[in-house]
Amino acid sequence: MMELSLTLPLARFPLQVEARFTSASVAVMGRSGSGKTSLLEALAGLRRGARGRLVVGERVLLDSEAGINASPEARHMGYVPQDSLLFPHLSARENVRFGVRKGRPSRVDEAVALLELEPLLHRYPATLSGGERQRVALARALATAPALLLLDEPLAALDVALKERVLPYLLRVRDEAHVPMLYVTHQLGEARVLAQEALLLEEGRVRAVGPADTVLGAAARGMLGLEGEENILEGVLERPSEGGVRLRVAEGLSLWVPEGPELVAGARVAYAVLAEDVLLSVAPLTGISARNVLRGTVRRVEEAGVGDRVLTVDVGVPLAVRVTGAAVRELGVALGHTVFLAVKTSACRRLR
Amino acid sequence: MEGEPSLILFSLAVAALATALILPLGVAVAYGLSRWQGAGKGLVETLVSLPLVLPPTAVGLVLLEVLSRGSPLGRALDALGVEVVFTPKAVVLASAIMAFPLLVRAARSGFEEVDPRLVAVARTLGDSRTRAFFRVTLPLAWRGLLTGTLLAFSRALGEFGATVLVAGNIPGRTQTLALAIFHRTQLGQDAEAFRLAGIATLIAFVAIYATELLSRRRGARARA
Repeated sequence: MMELSLTLPLARFPLQVEARFTSASVAVMGRSGSGKTSLLEALAGLRRGARGRLVVGERVLLDSEAGINASPEARHMGYVPQDSLLFPHLSARENVRFGVRKGRPSRVDEAVALLELEPLLHRYPATLSGGERQRVALARALATAPALLLLDEPLAALDVALKERVLPYLLRVRDEAHVPMLYVTHQLGEARVLAQEALLLEEGRVRAVGPADTVLGAAARGMLGLEGEENILEGVLERPSEGGVRLRVAEGLSLWVPEGPELVAGARVAYAVLAEDVLLSVAPLTGISARNVLRGTVRRVEEAGVGDRVLTVDVGVPLAVRVTGAAVRELGVALGHTVFLAVKTSACRRLR
Repeated sequence: MEGEPSLILFSLAVAALATALILPLGVAVAYGLSRWQGAGKGLVETLVSLPLVLPPTAVGLVLLEVLSRGSPLGRALDALGVEVVFTPKAVVLASAIMAFPLLVRAARSGFEEVDPRLVAVARTLGDSRTRAFFRVTLPLAWRGLLTGTLLAFSRALGEFGATVLVAGNIPGRTQTLALAIFHRTQLGQDAEAFRLAGIATLIAFVAIYATELLSRRRGARARA
């Protein structure tokens, strides 16, 4: 899908990225200030200092040796910045149509339908919520039929509730719009659910690159610090004979999830569970209303600001649990201990 | 009393013409200053603002010198048969120069309010640099441009010091409202002078009030 070999001088270090991607969705991860946004801007042609080579699909957009450096307007990249950056003087409709040109393919109607923007089109950006703005920004990029979508932390500016409303749209864009995407995030959960390949950046250099499953493992978690305390669990739905719906995440690991008529057995779906929605106990849990009780081993204990700790507990898959530092001390939880986790059914929120 | 309508019309025409003359260059300079981060920026800014702080008579004196037959520019103009000094052209020129810094300063702060990243987004959506300027930068900087234009117009309307030196104070030829007020006072026609001052106040009031209304209506749409 794309091939890049870029260098770009930044204030603190040079950005040096060499990678080749074959899938249609790539996550770019790294701590704040690791060069993620600069990389995206360089790809979009917005950084004049970028040197090297960039090929998207069949098109050579940058080849410094051959003197090729396509201007941003010639690159056909759908750039969606973190804070939407809608044109404030234009209505949502005019924003979505901004890049439409005679003689170039456009996908306005498709983008509006996909992101369910019809009721918002007459409104101005100032009256839209953060999530609505991001949907308009996504549609604006999609409407130009771009060769590649560049998404810069599209969910970072949103609170948890809004995030859940926008993430499904991103998944729809990935699965239905058939536009390859490069997705910058520092949320491990988002990256896991969206990407097939991943690139880890540290101080402008590639720390790891490859299939998302391998790259976004435990090492990534340590490197990225403690952002993304949302657990995203992918699996297959089961409808056991006793009733209810279960998400089968792995061999021997299933979670009860809220009932819904649209949930059919066998469907591949993803659920989100906030790290603070998981209850931790050092003793086996009995007589408790939460239906999901899991047994696991503490693999990691990390500080998470304001005195909280995030424990990574291996229950078959790694699960992040957020508790207060005081709770960790009182319970005497430490690395390698066996603990019990309880997850209320209602804490599992479906993403797609 | 006599010739008052033509005096008012002449003053308005001079101010409008002076403003129109400096608009393209003023907007270009303002935009350049808002985006340019290179060395020497402070120097250019100072030079542009200089007429604002200099005594207008000093600017008039320099203009008079530059345009007089003794200077190369004056000789060149003379050879072309163009007379500037002590003509209405001199009134327009003096007003334009004195109004220029006000236009640039206001327009610049208008441009500085436009997030350059919005322009970057427009570029990725297929706009050339020029197209993005007209579709994004200009419409978003309109408040500053409007304020700058109004300030420049008002300044041109009130110009006195530079004008009187380079254009004189010739009734029916180079006399504007501002010059006429001075003239009437000198002649001891205080009542006349007050009438003219009243008219000047009215014009200024209408201009500023209209801008306020326009500014509020368009601002309301973007926020609503």
